[in-house]
Amino acid sequence: MLEVKIKRALPGFSLDVGFSVDGDILGILGPSGSGKTMTLKCIAGLIQPDEGLIKLNNRVLFDSSKSLNLSPQVRKVGLVLQNYGLFPHLTASKNIAYGIRNSTRSEINDRVSVLIEKMGLNGLEHRYPRQLSAGQQQRVAIARALAPGPEVLLMDEPFSALDSVTKEQMELELLGIRDFYKGSIILVTHNLAEAYRLSSRLAIYESGRIAQCDHKEKIICSPASRKVAKMLKIRNYLDGFVSDISDSSVWVTIPELNTRLMVSANGRNRLAANQRVTIGVFPDYVRIEEGPGQNALLSSLDYMNNSVSTVNYRFSLKTVSGRGVSIETVLPKSEARFLLPGQECYLYLPPDHVAVIDS
Amino acid sequence: MNEYLTPLCVSLKTVSTTMVVTVILGILAARWMARYHGRLKPLIDGIFILPLVLPPTVVGLVLLLTFGKNGPMGQLFSLLDTTVVFSWPATVISATVVSFPLMYMTARSAFELVDRDIEDVARTLGAGKWHVFRTVTLPLARPGIIAGAVLCFARSLGEFGATLMLAGNIPGKTTTLPVAIYFEIQAGHMDQALYLTAIVIFISFTSLVCLAYLRTPRRKTKTVPEIV
Repeated sequence: MLEVKIKRALPGFSLDVGFSVDGDILGILGPSGSGKTMTLKCIAGLIQPDEGLIKLNNRVLFDSSKSLNLSPQVRKVGLVLQNYGLFPHLTASKNIAYGIRNSTRSEINDRVSVLIEKMGLNGLEHRYPRQLSAGQQQRVAIARALAPGPEVLLMDEPFSALDSVTKEQMELELLGIRDFYKGSIILVTHNLAEAYRLSSRLAIYESGRIAQCDHKEKIICSPASRKVAKMLKIRNYLDGFVSDISDSSVWVTIPELNTRLMVSANGRNRLAANQRVTIGVFPDYVRIEEGPGQNALLSSLDYMNNSVSTVNYRFSLKTVSGRGVSIETVLPKSEARFLLPGQECYLYLPPDHVAVIDS
Repeated sequence: MNEYLTPLCVSLKTVSTTMVVTVILGILAARWMARYHGRLKPLIDGIFILPLVLPPTVVGLVLLLTFGKNGPMGQLFSLLDTTVVFSWPATVISATVVSFPLMYMTARSAFELVDRDIEDVARTLGAGKWHVFRTVTLPLARPGIIAGAVLCFARSLGEFGATLMLAGNIPGKTTTLPVAIYFEIQAGHMDQALYLTAIVIFISFTSLVCLAYLRTPRRKTKTVPEIV
């Protein structure tokens, strides 16, 4: 269990975050410069926060009220950096062995060979980092961080230096280390898909603050703000208010469209009647229908364009005031339909896949 | 034969002692300044490098004033009942002062090139500051430190002006090779001067060739088969 509550002020930027991780994988997602790496360095003890408290499994690592600040070497925090930070003058196995202390030579060798085996580095023991591929270097870096038996593993953009094929492979391997490393993991990334696939909970960073920290599905159902929704790549927004609530469904009236949309209430934050909300929909979920029906909105095509394997559409909705409200849609080419600009059709917003943003 | 060998012996003794002192001081100063980013950095930097650009007579005079009878260091040594001026340690002091900037500058740029992240990771792996310095920073900065040591060797071997002013010319004690050459020429002993000159050129040239060799990246002698 890692508990973090820290503040650090710099000219032009301040970090003020708090979260906890308990044996799961927390993904810290945010644009560059939002304080993600600084958070990791504070936990590792490489940067000292101005104030706050960092606790790891009942050990206090940092407590400003008691002027307590453990040095990095006693914190038992594993760190994997973006460029791995391998020791260029040491072989793979010596890199891994570096952090193992208070052991006999044979104990160290055993521990290293177990990690070599588990990380799939057999045959590479005596290579220097420059003789390893990026994926192999990363495996060495993870093995090295795990070797001293850390109580939390921090990873800073671990996949950003890898090509997409290696990246997928490494994502699987990272989930594979859960078999022998049961501690908490914090994964910093600016890639939403990566954060979603690897972590169970997400902390969304926004210029030094946590905009939202929750289970990933919860965040996707109920983003805390438009900014969070934008970071999740939700592209379509409709403003309205809650007009009716039942056990399983919530009805949201969109005055501009003179219509009521039904959204399912499952897994969402509780909504109150007359609460002002914004409906957000991923382009991938919007379906094109022939005729009217519940949650189907009359619209006309602005344009469509072809991508590699998908077709992107943009539609304008028929609004009461005549103000333009547009909806974007993405369909796989196999399901794409050819429409002419200005052609009318109905856009269906599935109740289960609509985000409700408190506004 | 003895009159050739004596200055060589004095020089070698001076140079080797100087190297030990300069390399240690240079590494410590360089390491400190490589990670120091305070307001005084340019000032301290200037002080460390100054002896490199000053005329030897200026360095010599400053050293004389410092280590002379009434100088601050001179008084300190007189408490210990010793005088530095015109003694063998004076050759080491002047050689150290003039060769220090070379060691300092080369080592500092070597330390600055060591990736901070690598040192940071080492600390999270349970290594204390000194252990990180010994096992990570120093090995990574080694080429620069060796280069600095070689330059320091060559520079202190060639030290003449400040040595002459502070240590004087006491045969067998403070007469180093460059000083000996100067006085042989003064006395009209051209053969001996040429002989000593050849020795100096040979040693200096050899050390620079060694340095160049150390700096050339060696071709990979062994290619490791690619394992995917």
